[in-house]
Amino acid sequence: MILHIDMDAFFASIEQAINPYLKGKPLIVGSRNSKLHTVVCAASYEAKALGIDSGMPSFEAFKLCPSLEFVAAEQSKYIWTSEQIFEMLKEYGFEVFYASIDEFQMDTGDSPGAQELAGKIRESIYSTFNITASIGIAKNCLLAKLASKINKPNGICLLTEENLNQTLSKLPVEKLCGVGKSTAQVLTQLGINTCLDLYQKEADFLEEYLGKVGLNFHLSLHASESLKTNSIEEDKPKSIGHSYTLPWATENPGFIRAWIRLLSDMVAERLRQQDLGSQTAHLWLNSPEIGNFNCQKTFREPTDDGYEIYHRCLRIMAKMSLKSPKIRALGVTCSNLFSNSYSPLLKEEKRREALLKTIDRINACYGENTIYPAQVTLTRKMPKRLRTAS
Amino acid sequence: MPQSGFNPKARWDRHIPQKDADHNNPDGLSEKIAVMAFFQQAKLYPRLFIWNNKKYKITKVTYNWQERSGREVISYFSVACGFNLYQISFNNSTFSWRLDKIIQ
Repeated sequence: MILHIDMDAFFASIEQAINPYLKGKPLIVGSRNSKLHTVVCAASYEAKALGIDSGMPSFEAFKLCPSLEFVAAEQSKYIWTSEQIFEMLKEYGFEVFYASIDEFQMDTGDSPGAQELAGKIRESIYSTFNITASIGIAKNCLLAKLASKINKPNGICLLTEENLNQTLSKLPVEKLCGVGKSTAQVLTQLGINTCLDLYQKEADFLEEYLGKVGLNFHLSLHASESLKTNSIEEDKPKSIGHSYTLPWATENPGFIRAWIRLLSDMVAERLRQQDLGSQTAHLWLNSPEIGNFNCQKTFREPTDDGYEIYHRCLRIMAKMSLKSPKIRALGVTCSNLFSNSYSPLLKEEKRREALLKTIDRINACYGENTIYPAQVTLTRKMPKRLRTAS
Repeated sequence: MPQSGFNPKARWDRHIPQKDADHNNPDGLSEKIAVMAFFQQAKLYPRLFIWNNKKYKITKVTYNWQERSGREVISYFSVACGFNLYQISFNNSTFSWRLDKIIQ
């Protein structure tokens, strides 16, 4: 069986554990400290009851509840807690995988007593961290994830062959991971309204109307193989990316370029950590004037150098119709990843490689950002003189 | 779905200066303090701290976490002293304690 352990309102619960005065109150965790100029990273269950949820602009959340409590996110505590929970789960002796920072999956194989184990895990998490988790148990990852949502918060749900159909018949298809708004619309048109409708459809039918996505739904819903088998294919990431929403829209080219440089360097650092090179650079820009700009370009040589990725992104940006639009959010992603087996031949390439290795060594020794490109300094604080009216 | 390559440290805010007092930590103090604590089974338990010549008896450690920064490991504690909450931290490379902020 697969256990899907999903932490309940993870960031908000940690903040409530840190500050017990926030318990029982509607609380949001914002991605930055500016209360009204940020996005809700996490909302407590009390805030969720008022219609507030992750991804909502904070000013909208405050409109719904002016007395809302606010805490700025500090990732170090969430990361540490996530790592500790991961280590704690490994002690049970089964394969454990990260699904995200606040979700874990455990493969108990044919061992009996999955529900008792889930109970122990839940108690152990609560007694150690004073936060709760919901656990779904099912024959595969997708159903286990779905099950984890059923008795949220602080609940356990076991999907067996006996109760599977009955449970799935009560769940709208949108509850299933991977079914977004547009997929749900297509499914509704096909007469698929509940998770059971989707579960009972033949693979051929789903492939005919939804293509690969449909076939994947069928395979994932009916799978019963272990996590270990799945993970072999997923050892190497398909892409690595970073994105950021600016505090306000700006058209200042220096500032926008500095952010692209920073995101390129963050991506490149992760490429180097995994000994990968990327051939395809993808730039995403969000502008109030032109909406989303998405463009990618494949280059001949793979790279793991942030400076090169930055220049590739600038070439992509030159394709934009508006030459200096206001930018609100931006993202850099590298795909087409290969094991980095390229050895530089040219003197300049060798010098560059040595420089990157030295920078990585310094940052590994003395902490992230001990040394970084001077251009990135601009992103540290958006100077008021650079601010443009939005 | 399981992500064997997932790394929770691949985070978005790591280049944002968290210790910048007027940015992410408006209540930031970062003041040196003297702390009475004991070690037990590789764990650290702060019991009392002195700040501005005043003793603060720690009644409860509500949460603790660590952050690695290069070779340094910083242990953070959110502590209750009566009705007030503080965040203190211990740097294992300088062996120094700091009062980071007043939480409540």
